[in-house]
Amino acid sequence: MKRFRLRLEPRSDLPKWLPWAVPVGSFLVALLVGAIVLSTTGQNPFSVYARIVDRAFLSDGAFSGTLVSATPLLFTGLCAAVAFRVGFFNIGGEGQFVMGAIFGSGIALKLGADVPGVVAVASMVVFGAIGGGLWALIPGILKTRFRTNEIITSLMLNYVAAVIATYLIFDSQSFWRELTGSGVVFPKGKVLPTIAWWPKLDFGSVIVPFGFLLGMVIAGWLYVLQRKTRFGFEMRVVGGAPTTARYAGIKPNRVIIAVAALSGALAGIGGATDVGNFRHILDPKGLQQSGFGYAGIVVAALARLNPVAVVFVAILLGGITNAGYALRGPDFPSGLVGVLQGLILFCTLGGEVLARYRVKRSSPSDVIETALEPA
Amino acid sequence: MSINENIFVVIMASAIFYGTPLVFASLGEVLAERSGVLNLGVEGMMLLGAVAAAWVSTNVGGPAIVVLPLALVAAMIAAGLGASIHAFLTITLRVNQIISGLALTIFAGAAGLSSYLAGIWHLGKAPVMHQFLRLDVFGLADTPVVGPILFHQTLLTYLSWVLVIAASVYLFKTRMGLHVRAVGESPQTADSVGIPVARYRYAHVILGGSFAGIAGACFSLMIVPTWVDGMTAGQGWIALALVIFGFWRPDLMLVGAYLFGALSSLSLTLQARGFHISTAFLAALPYVMTIVVLVIASNASSRRQLGAPAALGKPYEREER
Amino acid sequence: MTQDSLVEAATAPAVAAFHITKKFPGVNANEDVTFDVRVGEVHALLGENGAGKTTLSNILTGLYRPDSGWLEVLGDRVNFQSPRDAIAAGIGMVHQHFRLIPTFTVAENIALGSAHDPINGRFDLAAIEERIVALSESFDLPVDPRAKIWQLSVGEQQRVEILKVLYREARVLIMDEPTAVLTPVESEALASTMQSMARNGRSVVFISHKLGEVASIADRVTVLRHGRSVETVTENDVNALASLMVGRSVESVQQTTESMSLFVAESAPVVLEISDLCATGDRGLKALNGVNLNVRAGEIVGVAGVAGNGQRELVEILAGLRRSSSGSVQVDGESLENGSTRHPIRLGVSYVPQDRMGTGLAPDLSIAENMALKKYRRPPVSRPPFLRQSVIDSEARELMAQFDVRAPSETTPTRRLSGGNVQKVLLAREMSGDPKVLVIASPSQGLDVGAVAIVHQLLLDAAGKGVGILLVSEDLDEVLSLSHRIAVMYEGRILDTVDRVDADVQRIGLLMGGQMEESA
Repeated sequence: MKRFRLRLEPRSDLPKWLPWAVPVGSFLVALLVGAIVLSTTGQNPFSVYARIVDRAFLSDGAFSGTLVSATPLLFTGLCAAVAFRVGFFNIGGEGQFVMGAIFGSGIALKLGADVPGVVAVASMVVFGAIGGGLWALIPGILKTRFRTNEIITSLMLNYVAAVIATYLIFDSQSFWRELTGSGVVFPKGKVLPTIAWWPKLDFGSVIVPFGFLLGMVIAGWLYVLQRKTRFGFEMRVVGGAPTTARYAGIKPNRVIIAVAALSGALAGIGGATDVGNFRHILDPKGLQQSGFGYAGIVVAALARLNPVAVVFVAILLGGITNAGYALRGPDFPSGLVGVLQGLILFCTLGGEVLARYRVKRSSPSDVIETALEPA
Repeated sequence: MSINENIFVVIMASAIFYGTPLVFASLGEVLAERSGVLNLGVEGMMLLGAVAAAWVSTNVGGPAIVVLPLALVAAMIAAGLGASIHAFLTITLRVNQIISGLALTIFAGAAGLSSYLAGIWHLGKAPVMHQFLRLDVFGLADTPVVGPILFHQTLLTYLSWVLVIAASVYLFKTRMGLHVRAVGESPQTADSVGIPVARYRYAHVILGGSFAGIAGACFSLMIVPTWVDGMTAGQGWIALALVIFGFWRPDLMLVGAYLFGALSSLSLTLQARGFHISTAFLAALPYVMTIVVLVIASNASSRRQLGAPAALGKPYEREER
Repeated sequence: MTQDSLVEAATAPAVAAFHITKKFPGVNANEDVTFDVRVGEVHALLGENGAGKTTLSNILTGLYRPDSGWLEVLGDRVNFQSPRDAIAAGIGMVHQHFRLIPTFTVAENIALGSAHDPINGRFDLAAIEERIVALSESFDLPVDPRAKIWQLSVGEQQRVEILKVLYREARVLIMDEPTAVLTPVESEALASTMQSMARNGRSVVFISHKLGEVASIADRVTVLRHGRSVETVTENDVNALASLMVGRSVESVQQTTESMSLFVAESAPVVLEISDLCATGDRGLKALNGVNLNVRAGEIVGVAGVAGNGQRELVEILAGLRRSSSGSVQVDGESLENGSTRHPIRLGVSYVPQDRMGTGLAPDLSIAENMALKKYRRPPVSRPPFLRQSVIDSEARELMAQFDVRAPSETTPTRRLSGGNVQKVLLAREMSGDPKVLVIASPSQGLDVGAVAIVHQLLLDAAGKGVGILLVSEDLDEVLSLSHRIAVMYEGRILDTVDRVDADVQRIGLLMGGQMEESA
C-alpha cells in the first residue's frame, strides 16, 4: 500500500515578494473562510464586512474609536513582540498590563490634583512601566535562574494580578477604592483627578489619544533599538541562536532578563494608558473582560514581531474590535471578532510555513533513506 | 446542625461538583501533553463543547436518557474538531504550539465562535431542557459525611472518576500508553523503534480536545446549566496549571482539581457563614502553588523524577541525511 | 535437509556482505565491501573516521539499502526493507549514543517496540521483567529491571542496550564503539561479556578504532579504509593492524605545498601554551586527562586522532565554552580566564568550530551581521550604544571579496549559503581580527575539493603572517599535509608530538589506536 505522507522541505530560494505576500494572502484567505462561515449560518458576508469597515474606519468618529481600541493592543503587542524575539514566551502581558494600571492609577491618586499635568502623566507612565516590568521579571528570573518554563509562570501571574486588582477594589478599603458616597455600598475605584486625565489630540476628523501617540513613539524607538544598537543585535542573536550567542561572548541570560523587564514595562505603560486616557479609574472587571494581553500576542504574531508593523496591525485589530462593540446588537452576530481574529492568526501561521517550506509527497523508499545520526 | 451541614462536608461536596469540569479538561490536556503537544486552546475547546451540548439539549427532542448522551457526543465532536486544527498546524506544519493554541482559544472562545454559534442558535435565553442532576446513588445520599460527598453527585462526576482510572491504567499499564509516553519523552527514540509519532500525536490531541468538550458540557448541562457567554471563566487555564500541579499523572490531577475547587468554594462558603476572610489570598493560592510546584519540578535533580515529558512543546522532525 | 545442506548450514556465516556499495552525494561511503562474520565469533570492524564503518553497520541493520551488492544471513540471501526486517533476521545494533528514555525503567525501555509482546494490547510488565532477569543472568549482564535509566551508570545503561537487542532474540550483535563511554574496568567487563556471548553461539561485531582492544578481543578483524574493505585478518599484531588502518607506506610524508617551511624557528614566541589541562565531559567522565601542548607564532600544530578522544572538549575550553577542572591555558603569556567567552576574544583567540551552523553562525542573520559577531562591541563598528550598520556592511563586503565568498549580497542570511561559503565566512571573520591564535576544528568536513584547497591555502597564509594555528581534524591526510608538528590525542591526553620531517605514519596510526610502544 502506497503510504501518503507529506514532507516539508525548506525552500532554498526566497522570492523578494514573498515576505509581503504571505501576511496579505493569509489575511485574504481568512476573510474568505470567515465569509464561508457567515454565509453557511445565514448571514450575508458582504454586508457584515461592509458594516465592519464602516464602523471601524469610515463613519464619523469611527477611526477615533478604533484608535481607542487599538491603543492597549499596541502596547501589549509591543510587549509580546519584544519578548518573543528573544525566545522569551511572555504570555503574561495581561497581568503586566493590570499591574501597570494599578501602579499608574496609584501614583496619580497619590499626587492628587495639585501637580502640573505633565508631571501627572509622566509619573503614570514611569510607574506603569515599573509595575509591569517588575511583574515580568518574576517569570524572567524563574526562567534564567531556575529554568522554569515562562509560559505557565507568566500565565499564572495573570491570575494573581487579577486577584490583586479585585482585592484592591472589592475586598479591601484600599487607597484605590472610592470610600465615599455610593462607593460605600457598591465597590468601585476612585476617579483620578482630572489633571491626570491624559489628553486627546483633536486633528479635526480624528481624535488621537495621547497614549496612542506615545505608543507610536515607543514603537519607533524599539525599532531603532532592535536594528541599530548593540543591544538589539544581541537580542537578535540570542533569539535566533543561543549557542552562537554564548560563543560570541554574549550572556544570553542577561539579555533575557533585560528583555523580560522591557516587555513587562511596555505592557505596564499600556495599563497606565488605559487608566489615564480612557477609564480614569481602576476597573478590575473591565480589565479582565478585555483580554488585552492575549490579543496583544495575536497582534505581535501577525506583525511578525516587527515593532513598526505592530502599530498597523493594532489599528487593524482595533478596528475589528471597535466595530464589534459598536455593532453589538440583535442583528449583528456576536463573537465575530474572535472568529475573524482567530482565522487571521491561523491563516498567517499556516501561510508562514508555506512561505518557508515546500510541501512534497514522500514515497516509501525515501522513508528508508533517513538516518538518525551522522555516519 | 446535622453533620452533613458541617462546613467541611459542604465544601468537599461542592468541591467535587464544581471541580468536575476541571477533571475532564485536565485529563484531556494531559493526554495531549504526554504525547508531547502543548495545547493552550483548552478554554476555546471547552466553550465549543458547551455550546454544542447546549444546542442538543435545547433542540433535540426525546427523553433525557437519549438526549444527554447525544449532547455529550456533540460536545466531544465540536471540541475535537477545534483540536484538530491545532493538531494539523502543530504536528504537520510544525508551527509554534503556543501561538497556535492561543489562536484556538481566541477563535473558539468567549467572543469567538462559541458566542457566534450561540447567537445564531439563540441559546441562553432559556435553560436547557435536559440537564445532569445530582443522583442518589444506592440511596446513600444522606449517609453521614460520605453521603453528600460521594453518593450525591451527578453522572458526569462519576464518569470523570471512571475516566481518571481508565487514563491511569492506559498511560501506565498498557502498551499503547507506553508508546505515547515514549513519543512525549523522546520522539526520535520512538520513531526509531517504529512507533508512528505523528499518528499518536494527532490521536491524543484530538481525543484530549474531546475531553475538554465534555468539560464544557459540564458547564452548560450541569453547573449553570444553560448557555452563558464565556461561562468557563478561565477554568481552561486552570486545567493547564492542574496538569503541572499533578505532575502529569491523572490521579494527582484529580486531587488537585478538587483542591482548587475546594479553595474557590471555601471563600464563598465562609463568607456566606459570616466569616470575613480575605478571599484574595485564597483565590490566588492555587496559582501561586502551581508556580511553586513548577519551580520544584524544573529543578535539575528532581526533574528526572517529576518532570514534564521531555519533548513537550517541540515539534518533531525526522532528521534527513 | 540433505547431508550437504546440513554441512552448509553449519558452516555458513552468521551474516555476510558481498560487494556492498553505497554512495551519498559527494562521498562513496562504502565501495565493494565484502566480509563475513562466523557464528560464535567476535569480529571487529576497524577503521578511521570516514572509513565507512557506520554506513556499513546501518546497511546490516536495515536502515539503509545498498546501491549494489547483497547480504546473506546463514547462507540465505536477504533484502532488508526496514530495520524491522533486520531484527526479524536476528541482527541487532547497540548504538554508540544510547537510545534510552531516562525516565522509563529498564523494563519499559526494553519493552518499547518489541515484537514479542502479546498482540492484545495489554502487556504484562511483570512477565517482561522476569524474562529480562532470566536473560541478564544467562548472559551475566546484571541489571535491575525496575530501575530507572537515569539512575544507572553508563556501563549499566549499555547493558540495557545490549539486553534490548538480546531480548529480541538477536543472533548477531553489532556494537558501535562500545568502549568509548566506559571506564577501563567496565571495558574489561564488556570484553568478557562479548566473549561469553560468542561462546553461547551468538556473533558479535564491534566497531572500534582502538588497536589494543581489537587485537586482544577480536577473533578476526576486518579493516576498512576509505570505504573499502581492505582485508580480513586474524592478526594480533597491532603494528600490522595500524598499517592496514592508515594504509600508507612507512616512508615519511611527502611535502604537498612548497610554500610551507619545514618547521618554525625556535625563536618564534609561544603564543599558546596548554599545561596539564583536565576537564570533565558531558557524561561525567574525564574528557581531558592532562593535556600538554604548545603552539608558536606562525606554526600549525595539527591534532590527529579519532573523534571522541577529547578534541571537542579541548577546543571548547580554548573558546571559553567549557570550564576546565584544572590546568592552565596561556595566550601569549597571559592566562586565559576559565569559562569566559569574552576573554579569549579579547586575548586574540579565534575559533572556527566544527558545528558551523549551530555554534559558529546565527543562520537567520545576514552574512554581514555574522561577520560582525565578534567585533560589534568595539569601534569602528560600534559607537555605543549604536551599531553602525554601514560600517558592518562595508567591512563585510571587503571581507567577502578578500575571501571570495559567493553570495547574492552581504545581506543574505547565512542559512542559505553552501557549505564552502559558510566556511569562508567563518574564516573571514576569525582571521580578520588579527588573532594571535586560531583554533580550527574539522576545517574541510563536508566541503568539495575546490573549497578544501582554498581553505587550506587560507590557513597557510595565516600561518605565514604569524598566527599560531591549532588544527584539530579527524582527517589524517589533512593534518599530515598542513602541520608543522603533529600531536596525537587519545583518551584525553596528547600521547606524543612529532615534527613533520620525522612523521612516521605507521607510528601515528599506532598512537591513534592508543599504542605507545613500538614493537619490533
